[in-house]
Formats: sequence, structure tokens, C-alpha cells
Amino acid sequence: MKKFLAFSLILVLSLTLVFAGTYKIGFFAPLTGWAAADGSSALRGAELAVKYINDNGGVNGNNLKLIYYDDAMNTAQAVSIAFKLIQQDHVLIAVSGSYSSTTRAAAGIYQRLGIPMISAYAVLPQITKVGNLIFRVGTLATVEGRAGAYLAVKILGAKRIAVLNIDNDFGTSLTKGFIEEAKKLGAKIVYLTKYPIGETQFRTILGALKKSKPDVIYATAYYAEASHIVFQAKQLGIYVPIIGQEGYDSPKFIQLSEDGSYNGTLITTDLNRDSSKPIVQWFLKTYKEKYGISADMVSASAFDAVQVAAVGLKNGTTPDKIREGILSIKSLKTSVTDIEHYTKSREVFRPLTVQIVLAGRFNFFREITDPDVLNPER
Amino acid sequence: MELWQESVNILVLGSIYVLIAVGLSMIYGILRVLHVAHAGIYTLGAFLSLSIAGVTGNFWIALTLSAIISGFFGALIYRYIYKFVLKEERIVPLIISVGLFITMQDLYRIIYGPYKYPFSISTAIPYIRVGSFYVSPLQMLILMITGVILVGLYFVLNKTRIGVGLKACANDLQMAEAVGINTKLTIALAFFIGSALAAVAGTLVGVYDNSVYPTMGSTVSYKAFVVVVLGGFGSLKGSVIAGYLLAAAEVLLVSWKGFFLPRDAIGFLVMIIFLIFLPNGLFGKKER
Amino acid sequence: MDYLMTLGIFASIYTILAISLNILTGYAGQVSLGHAALFGVGAYTSAALTVNLGFNYWAALPLSILITALVGALIGLSSLRAHSDFLVLITIGINFVVVALLKYTPFFGGPYGLLGIPRPSLFGEAMNTFEYFWYAVGWASFTILFVYWMSKKYIRTAFEAIKEDEEAAEAMTVSVPRFKIYAFAISAAFAGLAGNLWAHYMGVIFPGNFSFDTSIEIMTMIVLGGIGTIRGAVFGAVLLVFLPEYLRFVSDYRMLIYGLIIVFTMLFIPSGLLGDNSITWRWTRIFKKGDRVAKNNEN
Repeated sequence: MKKFLAFSLILVLSLTLVFAGTYKIGFFAPLTGWAAADGSSALRGAELAVKYINDNGGVNGNNLKLIYYDDAMNTAQAVSIAFKLIQQDHVLIAVSGSYSSTTRAAAGIYQRLGIPMISAYAVLPQITKVGNLIFRVGTLATVEGRAGAYLAVKILGAKRIAVLNIDNDFGTSLTKGFIEEAKKLGAKIVYLTKYPIGETQFRTILGALKKSKPDVIYATAYYAEASHIVFQAKQLGIYVPIIGQEGYDSPKFIQLSEDGSYNGTLITTDLNRDSSKPIVQWFLKTYKEKYGISADMVSASAFDAVQVAAVGLKNGTTPDKIREGILSIKSLKTSVTDIEHYTKSREVFRPLTVQIVLAGRFNFFREITDPDVLNPER
Repeated sequence: MELWQESVNILVLGSIYVLIAVGLSMIYGILRVLHVAHAGIYTLGAFLSLSIAGVTGNFWIALTLSAIISGFFGALIYRYIYKFVLKEERIVPLIISVGLFITMQDLYRIIYGPYKYPFSISTAIPYIRVGSFYVSPLQMLILMITGVILVGLYFVLNKTRIGVGLKACANDLQMAEAVGINTKLTIALAFFIGSALAAVAGTLVGVYDNSVYPTMGSTVSYKAFVVVVLGGFGSLKGSVIAGYLLAAAEVLLVSWKGFFLPRDAIGFLVMIIFLIFLPNGLFGKKER
Repeated sequence: MDYLMTLGIFASIYTILAISLNILTGYAGQVSLGHAALFGVGAYTSAALTVNLGFNYWAALPLSILITALVGALIGLSSLRAHSDFLVLITIGINFVVVALLKYTPFFGGPYGLLGIPRPSLFGEAMNTFEYFWYAVGWASFTILFVYWMSKKYIRTAFEAIKEDEEAAEAMTVSVPRFKIYAFAISAAFAGLAGNLWAHYMGVIFPGNFSFDTSIEIMTMIVLGGIGTIRGAVFGAVLLVFLPEYLRFVSDYRMLIYGLIIVFTMLFIPSGLLGDNSITWRWTRIFKKGDRVAKNNEN
């Protein structure tokens, strides 16, 4: 009997060794060129998720393997990478760690060839409209804009709001969501202007903004522009609260804003650094240890994109099974950005956290849970 | 009061354009090379200053050393690369320069990583505040350094033998060689001075924007040409005036109309209109 | 397979772009660093016609080529005023302004780009990657043949005359303004064709696709291949489309090596890999001659 047990144990072990294959996940992001910072963060987040999953037994006993390519923020490369990942590397699912244009261009290929794709943080609303296999992890920009309006009007009680709109898809979608909701809640937009991405000189438009006497400034930006906006606003003596979004959500925002001008900035984002969930604390700690810099929203989103992919793969390896698996998610414990569930248009429903930047770190301020504000289907 | 504030913005922005363009203009004036990799040196200067300031803790040492090292690096680019292709069609050095710029940018990314580094200095600099009129310490720093450099450059170019040699080379390279000027050394010197100025500009922008990163030179790579060509072929005086004019046009149009187009596009639009009326630039002589 | 086909499609499109820039820069001597603007005008015209105005692809194709040619001729007008580096700068400027206008015009989708651009259909069915590959290769071949044919005509002589010396060309009764505009218009027409092919393959276009970087890339193709020759333009385009893909194995050093290859190629073979005076091109000639010599000896 003992012999038999030992024998069967060996058999089972060897069988798992033979049959424990690897599940390949494709990944693309800009690792060179002007967007390389976000691309690298995304790649690191995704790699960390793969490590986490493999260290915890993999998916159905299979190890995950991340196959990644640099798209250099070039739509043509994103498209050729899509074919390469699908037809040469035979990935089961793909994760985009790239911006909107490349992600949208590639999404068409993944949908056509029947491989599910998850966009980590690209904001273009039309990405998930490509088809039933395209998912998103980041919050839909219009939802986040609405949450910003809720914060400004309902929580801060603003009546007069000035809006700065960064001139890409990210800013335009956020601004649209914000203005609609803010007007609905009864606030007045007293100043609205557009500015180009990568801008460093805001003194001129901030000067005009100051004259409109707003209660609150809603400034869509990435951390680089944001650090100039908050600093130059303080220099010009503008002391009203500035509301930002996930684009601010990087330790670099704090580093780059001079003279503590980041203090008091409020942001709506997916990542609550003060969360008591063990996965969040593990993620923040391991990321810092492994890469020497603190995690940002982009890396957290890519981490979660791989986690979502793993849930899909757990349900099966065919596109339909993966899709079903992802759609059946109920408050994903292994996600760092609080994924509640997916809606029928394959967008995430999650409570958004409002963080306040004080004393050189992001701190929990409020949580927005109003389902009407958060509903991506609206 | 507002107009005064805008003037400060114009002066600061223009000073940065001028610092980048003056060096480029010297090189362009002599070799007629569109030296795109100048923007790579600008980034190099910023990174060097950042690193040296990190080690020594002194901004002025960092700035000086960075300018000198970048200057030598620029001279090396001439000595080992451009020198061999000057007789080719003028597009050839341009493409080489583009290749160099791509290589340099990616090299910085590999060495320093893709992220933005903050760059703050703790040097005591005076500032001006009169009512709501305010010139920040960093703005003062840029204006002062640019002023010193421009005066110094004027002196070197007009009162020293180096200046005479540079002018002779810019006028006619063969003639300069014939009258016994060491043209190779003079051109290398032009690259040295130009690159050192680019490094100063890169450092100042790095400090002013509080960020140094591998692709910080990409806007500069084409923006500087606007200034150089607007100023006229290799005319330093023209470059200085063109730099401030471009800054004025950008700032005033933005303050008048907001960003009806991105900043670069506004600058280029001004340039196109300008060139249609003045097809040889501000102080340009008709090309030979 | 689709991977290689896709690269083949991009190579065909860039071949058309490189050849079209070669007409302007290689033949007529008008250096333009804003060719991507015309590429973009072609792509956006065709996309806006089909997506926003409901045109059929086969109607949008000639229209997009025609409109781009007209825009090209308009840009060509500036070359009558500004010369040499001023022209280079104006073309760079036009590139930035065109991209900015596309980004700030809601009709063209603004920052969202234009999405859902239809593939052309053959016999009622949209082309797949394989068919589109041959379609693009077909257009590239047509472009090569057309420009080859054109280069045997008077117009090429006129272009060369303008390139060498404008005043001498006038003395030879070549109307410099007229032929400059011709060069811009013909070049633009093909850039428009390339834009059309690009838009309807990608299905989505964004203003950023047609930025100054793309202009530099096209110029690099023709200079690296050998400026002023059709074979050089074709070779340069194919090389620079495939090179970054084949360099993927060096992963992090990809762009570094790509840059170094450009620098060293131009440094050691300044007339381009297949340029008239380059070592590499002379080698291939030697082999040909060698063959002939061998054959003669046999006889």
C-alpha cells in the first residue's frame, strides 16, 4: 500500500510536470521614445503580476509567461506586434500597456483574430467598442470626469469651476464627463481652455484663469504638466483647490512639483495606497524593492490587467471561456485597484478613491461610491 | 502690470531659445550643417549637470564642468563624424545627425532610465517682487546667465583673434584656409563653444522645469532651427533677435487667443508667414 | 503569415512615399522635411470621405489623390519664394501645422482620430490581409513603373535642370516655377495614394501618425538607399520597415542599434547603399560585369 501511494504520488508529480504547460500572455507597450516612462512602468507592473501568480501556484497549475514587445508609440508597430504575438508566439490573451492610439489600432486585430485583449490604462472610450473580446482595466475617462465633478460640487461645494483641458483624447474625454456632470449638479464653468501636451509654461493661461475667480480648478494633465500647473498656480497666488486625476498618480508628481506646491492637490484615481488589502501593500512594497522606485497608477493598472487575464485563463483557454471568466469576476481580491465587476460593455465597475497629496505622499481622502456616478454604462 | 509679467515670460523663454540657437547658429554659419544632434548635447548637458550636482552638491561646479565636457563632446562629433562628410550632399550630414540624435536619446534612456528626474538647486538667487509683479529666482538665474553669456560671446567674437577666425571661416572657408587660419581648429572651437552653450541651456531648462529626462531634446531639435534660420544664415545677432521675437510671438498669441493650436504649431505658423514676406530671414544675406 | 504580410504592406506604402519624396528631393532638388503632412492629407481625406461623408472607397481613392496633389501644389507655391534651408524649414513648419489642425478640428475626429475606416471591397467582400498585400504591392509596382517611365521623359530633364542651377534652367527656357509646382504636385499625388492605402489598411488613423518623425523617416529612407535613384528609394523603404522588426531580438538596445546603423552607413557609404557612386552599388556592378566577362570568355 505504501509503495502504491509512493508510486501514485510520483506518477501524479511527473504528470503535473509533463502537463503543466505555460500560458502565454502577450504584452505591448512603448519601451522606447517619448512615452517610454509609462511603458516601462506598465511592463514592470505586468511582470510583477506574473511573478505573483506563478509564486502562488500559477493558473490551474500552469505557469504564466509574459511575451512583450516595444511598440515605440507607433500604431504600425502595434499592429505588426499583434500579428506576431497571435500567430508566431501563439499567446492566449494580450495586455496593452500602451496609450490610446496604439491600443485602438491593435484592438481591431485581436478582435478579428479572436484573441481577447485587455487595455491596462488607455482611456479612449472607443477601445472597448471594437468588439466583445476587448476589455479595459482603467476607469473609463468619462466616469472619472464625472467623479471629479462629484468631488468638486458635492464634496467641496464648488459653485464656480475653471477647467484646463490637455489637448489629447485623455483630457478631452475627462473634460467632457466633468463638464456634463458639473453642470447637472448645478455648478458653473467660469473658465475653460485647452493646452498642448508636454506644455511647461502655464503662467499665461493661469493669469487669465485667476481673473475668472473660480472656487475650484479642474486640471486634466499628466504628472509632468500637473507639476508645472500646481507650482505656477501657487506662484501666481492662486490658492483654490486643484483637482486632478489618475494622470497625477505617480510619485514623480510629488518629486517634480517644486516648493511643496503639490500640497492640497486632490486626485481621483484607482489606486488607494492606504488600502488595508494585503495585495495592495504587497504590490507597493515588492515593486519598490524590485525596481527601486515607487509604483504608480500605470503599473498598478498593468498589474491588474494581468490578474484579470489570469482569472479569464482559469476558466479555460479558449477565447469564449476567457471572456466568460472575466465577465464573471466578483470583487477581485487579487486586484490592487478594487475591481468590483465588469459591465456588459466590458468596462470595470469600481469605487473610485479620492487621494489628497500632503506631506510628500498620497493619502486617502474619500471614496466615491455613488453607483450613478460610477456606472460606465450611463 | 500684466504686460510686464508677460514681458518676463517672453524674456525667459526667449533666453532659452537664444542659448540653444546661438551655438547652433555658429556651427551652421560655418559648415551649413543642420546639426540636429545639438539637441542631444543639450540633453547631455542637463544629465551631466544633474549627475555632477548630485555628487558635488554645487550647482556652479556642475554647470561649468557639464559645459566643458559637453563642449569637448561636441568637438569630437565634428572631428570624428562631420569632418568626413562635409563634401557630400548637404542632406547626408543631416541624416547622420538624425541618426546620432536617435542613438544619443536612447543611450540616455538606457543609462538613466525613462523617468523624469527632478533637478532643484539650493543656490541663493535674488528675486524681484513689486506688488503682483514677480520674477522668480529661477527666472532671474536664466536671465542673468544668458546676459553674462551674451556679453561674453560678443566680446570673444568681436575683440579676440578667435572671433576673427570664426568670422573668417563663416564668410568663406577656403579663403580662411588660404590666409593661414587653422580652420579645423577653428571649427572644432565653434563646436566646443556651441555645445557648451547647449549644455548650459539644457541645464537651465532642467532646473527651470525641475525635470531632466532622455527625450527633453526632441522639441529643441527642430525649434532651434526656427530661430537659426529666421535669424538669417549664421547671423548671431539675427539669432538672438529671432529667439526673442519667436518667444514674444508665442507668448502674446497664447495670451491673446489661448492655445488655438499647440505651441509648436503657433511658432511655426508665425515662422511660415514671416518667411513668405522675408524669404531670407532677418539679417540673412542671399545664399551663395 | 499576416505578420510578414503586414510588414509587406507597410513596406509597399513606404516605397510609394520614398519614391514620391525622391521625385521632389532627388530629382528636382527641393528638400522637404514635411512629406508626412501630405501622407496625412491623403489618409485623412480618404478617411473623412468614407467615414464622415459616406463615400465609396473607389470614389474616395481618386479624390484623395487629387486633393493631396492640390495641397502639394499649394505648398509648392512657397518654394517659389523660399529657397534651400528656408524651404526645409517651411516644410517642417507645414508638417507641424497640418498635424495640429487635424488634432484640433472636430470634423477630423480631433485627438480621437478617425475610426472605422472601411477596407476596400472586391466583388462585394472586404479585402483580407493577403489580398490587401497584393493590392498594396500592385500600387507600389505601378508607382515604380510610372516614375521610371517619367524619368525617361523631358520632365525629368527639367527637374534636373532646376536642381543643378535655377538660373541656368531659366536660360534653357525651362519654366522654373511651373516645374517646381509640377514636382510638388506629382510627389504629393503619390503621397496621397500612400495615405489612402495606409488609412484603409489600418482602419484607424490619428494625427500623431503623420508627425515630423515620419517625415524624417521617409527622408532617411531615400538618403540611406541612395538619393536620386528609384532602386535606392525602394531599398531604403523596405530596409527601414523591416530593420526595426528584425532588431527585436536585441530588445532594449533596438533603437540604439538602429540609430548607429544609420550613422555608420551614411558615414562610410555617403551616397547611400544603392546610390550611383556608392561602393556597394559598384560592387553589384562588378559582379554583373564579371558575369558578362565570364560569358564572353566562354564564347
